Amino acid sequence: MRTTDLIDILARDVRPAPPGVVNRKLLAALVAGGLVTFAIVALGLRCQPLLAAAQQPWFWMKAAYTGLLTVAGAVLVRRLSVPGSRLGAAPLAAALVVLVMLTLGVGQILSAAQAGRVALWLGQTWKVCSPLILLLAIPIYACLIAAIRNLAPTRPALTGGSAGFASGALAATLYGLHCPEQAAAFVATWYTLGIGAATALGAIAGRRLLRW
Amino acid sequence: MPLYFAAHPHVLQAGRFFCVCASSDARIRIRPLARRGRVDPPVPYQDETEQRLRPLMIRSLEGDSGAHRQLLGMLGRYLRGYFTRRIGAAAEVEDLVQETLLAVHLKRDSYDRSLPFTPWAYALARYKLIDHLRRRHRSVQVPLEDAGALFAAEDSEEGALRTDLERLLQRLPDRQRSLIEDVKLQGLSVEEAAQKRGVTAVSARVMLHRSLKWLSQALRDEND
Repeated sequence: MRTTDLIDILARDVRPAPPGVVNRKLLAALVAGGLVTFAIVALGLRCQPLLAAAQQPWFWMKAAYTGLLTVAGAVLVRRLSVPGSRLGAAPLAAALVVLVMLTLGVGQILSAAQAGRVALWLGQTWKVCSPLILLLAIPIYACLIAAIRNLAPTRPALTGGSAGFASGALAATLYGLHCPEQAAAFVATWYTLGIGAATALGAIAGRRLLRW
Repeated sequence: MPLYFAAHPHVLQAGRFFCVCASSDARIRIRPLARRGRVDPPVPYQDETEQRLRPLMIRSLEGDSGAHRQLLGMLGRYLRGYFTRRIGAAAEVEDLVQETLLAVHLKRDSYDRSLPFTPWAYALARYKLIDHLRRRHRSVQVPLEDAGALFAAEDSEEGALRTDLERLLQRLPDRQRSLIEDVKLQGLSVEEAAQKRGVTAVSARVMLHRSLKWLSQALRDEND
């Protein structure tokens, strides 16, 4: 088939494409995956008493940390799904947020009494925190990747990593509804590790999944 | 990745912006943003190309199939020139042109109307070139250039094909194949073809679009 014939066929397959379809697709994926993860948290892990928790600053500290990272991750994914757009300030913003959280964590450890430091750092749940965040990220990652595949990511590993990062951050935000840990040092370590693992695995999977 | 980004000393240089780029071999590098299309001052010919192509793309997105045909025709000639300059006048060039045109068509949702068109088209073409070379296990050295690299010269001479789409189409289910044949050989509109086959226009449209998606994947697999 000659190329002009192919173009003839393609010209018959023209439907109006509404503006903003990229944002809608990605947002829909985040919401769909987020709902699945939310259901797992609410029904499987059970939420902590939210009314009481919502009056505590540590609850909002966690939500702000992971929420900001989710936004930065989503912006990154959006940019990487559209060829020819630049990354902008999102990576730097995410790095700054992590840096602030690490600083808070270290500051908390340093200002704590020597004897209580390890307990503060490990909390009650350090063993399950990062793995749970990683697992909870899977439904979100799957939805995001399905949406990105229909767009045009030209950098598969980086895009997969960003999708993993956004999924991990959103999963961590929802996990915060369950997780009763209060220490900044805990969040800075184990939440960040969970999100980091999701980023790394997302990049590895993205190399395979985002080819077109 | 964000940590790596922060740790890189160049990032902290005042007044300069950097981006993280995954090169084709998946190593992550940091490059000055100025090397990418959008930040460079517009080269005259590229600017002129942009002004010809972008309105066509926007009309195409509004559903104007004439503009779409014209756009793909022009892109095809630029792509042929670009790929020939990059991999030589081998038989693969025309296959790659067709693969990329299919991608431009199927991925047009991912074009953001608020951004210039030529960098978008260049990014797609470069991606298809890298993908092609990578699957042939050749060493991949495709520099990240200004979008003007794609639009340097046109070439309207269609080359020989290694994979005939006609042959791939034989693998489609009968209904889908006959729809494409009606549209291509007999020049029917999708509505006319749908009427002839006794299906609704909507389902004929969906069928055509799916067939093209399948074709794009099959062409990519075939050229492995």
